[in-house]
Amino acid sequence: MRNNKSVEQHLTRRGWALPLVWGALLLVGVLGMPYMEGVFRWMEADARQVIYNRAEFYTLLARHLLVVGVAALVTISVGVLAGIAVTRQRGRDFLPLVGQLASLGQTFPPVAVLALAVPVLGFGTLPIIVALMLYGLLPIVRNTLVGLQDVNADIKQAALAMGMTPWQILRRVELPLAAPVILAGVRTSVTINIATAALGATVGASNLGDPIIAGIVNGNMAYVLQGALLIALLALTVDSAFDVYQQRLRTRLSAS
Amino acid sequence: MSLIDALPTPKLSRQAWQPNVVVLSLGVVMLGIVWLFSTVHVAPNRIVPGTSYSLWQAIGWPGALLVTLLISAMCFLALVPTRTNYRAILVLVLVVLLLMPFGLMVAGHWLMDPDHPQARLGIGPAYWALLFILLLCLVELRLKLGVNRLTTTLLLSAVGIVWWLCATWWLENLALIQEFRARDQQFWRAVWQHIRLVSIAVGVSIVLGLILAMLMRRYAKLQKAAFATLNFLQTIPSLALFGLLLAPLAWLAANVPFLAQAGVSGIGTTPALIALIGYSLLPIVRNTYIALDEVSIETLDAAKAMGMRSYQRFWQVRFPLALPVLLEGVRITAVQAIGLTAVAALIGAGGLGTFIFQGLGQAAMDMVLLGALPILLLALLVDSGLGALAEALRPGGRS
Repeated sequence: MRNNKSVEQHLTRRGWALPLVWGALLLVGVLGMPYMEGVFRWMEADARQVIYNRAEFYTLLARHLLVVGVAALVTISVGVLAGIAVTRQRGRDFLPLVGQLASLGQTFPPVAVLALAVPVLGFGTLPIIVALMLYGLLPIVRNTLVGLQDVNADIKQAALAMGMTPWQILRRVELPLAAPVILAGVRTSVTINIATAALGATVGASNLGDPIIAGIVNGNMAYVLQGALLIALLALTVDSAFDVYQQRLRTRLSAS
Repeated sequence: MSLIDALPTPKLSRQAWQPNVVVLSLGVVMLGIVWLFSTVHVAPNRIVPGTSYSLWQAIGWPGALLVTLLISAMCFLALVPTRTNYRAILVLVLVVLLLMPFGLMVAGHWLMDPDHPQARLGIGPAYWALLFILLLCLVELRLKLGVNRLTTTLLLSAVGIVWWLCATWWLENLALIQEFRARDQQFWRAVWQHIRLVSIAVGVSIVLGLILAMLMRRYAKLQKAAFATLNFLQTIPSLALFGLLLAPLAWLAANVPFLAQAGVSGIGTTPALIALIGYSLLPIVRNTYIALDEVSIETLDAAKAMGMRSYQRFWQVRFPLALPVLLEGVRITAVQAIGLTAVAALIGAGGLGTFIFQGLGQAAMDMVLLGALPILLLALLVDSGLGALAEALRPGGRS
């Protein structure tokens, strides 16, 4: 028991240090990669080029973030709205189907979804955004459903008895209480999307996955390492930021 | 009268005779899709994008009318949702599912020129969407009728067998089938490779995960470090982890001849397996740990009072009670590993992902499908199979 408590205290004390460190490393990597030729030359002594040069690393990072960001914005708004809609009285008929679909969809591998999007939508950045949206929707919908359904019925009754309108109950009671679970869904969705967007390099999108794919195709390990390092740092930055935010949300909820 | 009874309860105002909105809207969407989008396309060869044909062009006016009638009948039946009507809708859905390959045959007969054996029939967006929505209807009907898992599996396998028979005998001009015929040996080898990689990775991580989880139960300090490490691993995108493993392993293989002889190399199975096991450990360890932890102390005390020894308590009480949750971990892991193995094809590990990435490289979409569809199917099969197993092993009877 005491052990648990100390872990919790440790978690609540966790600040923005970790995401900042990862973010700083990412920034250093993106801006400093071209100057690290010596290190990569040692790895790939015979290669003509050791620093990936089809695009600047910050451009790749910006494109990666753009794709993930657009997909995340759409999925969060659509997913949360869908989750709210099917838990209301009017949309309740759709609840079982949407719930089943959201959990069934989790079994679809992201690569397969990406691959299936290409024949329908073509090559380039757009199919990736659409594939990311479709796939990223599922964890958000599922967690919104779970979060909203887990809100204690007594609390909702109490809110109703206090004279709150359904809209007020949703905004003031249900959503704040479900927020940590919804956020966990958003975190899963964004983490998967960062990884899947990198695979988008195989369908002609230029982002941080491109150095890896180009490196594998040309047998240039230096390219592979550059891309892999930056993607890993990006994922760690975003994930640790979500972690801190989640902890804050939980502490605020349990404190009030 | 309690306070709760005094509150307005809008639920009661809804009558049982209201139409089933879900099936109704799915039916309307289906009608819209089959009439608005193209159902099939015909291409002169593998790479050239073909000409698209809509429903009435593909199977003629009688066929189009039949499809429309069947779907409209579903909608009408959904207006009065009684149990009989749900059964009727279920039959209609199955009939449409069974008719779908025959639709392709008719389309192939009408649209294909027998003088061009190279020509191929592609499946269009409306066809896929129709299939998907029919499956959604099945899910909804299954929930409404309370059909159990076994019956659903049997019904779907019956449909699957009809599709399979049609595909092997009469659908040879379908692009997907042609693509398969061109490389059937390669295909089965890839399926086998895929399954082998997944099973090795999952098998090894089950053993490692069990050991790790038990160590974590014994040494509390290990718990935090291990979870932190595994979480860290899980966060790193698959492509990046494969990439990060490539360089050091290539260096090891080049500089340590002993390891190279043992089969370690930068490209191929070694980095794939290391990454797959790394990813698989977290769900297994997490679920094992939680499962073993959740067994109630009272039960264990009762076992102790009955005179069971500690290993008996573990193997006869704790472990069987933890098994369903543990299997849930295995299920998550296996499904995840099936998807990740597809990515591993990029670093030369083989498997079905090879077709996806080769197909993307050659802009041959049917080849992409040849890789992606079996992966999807494999994931669904493993998911439902292990799910059923966990359900059957749940203590207190099977539901």
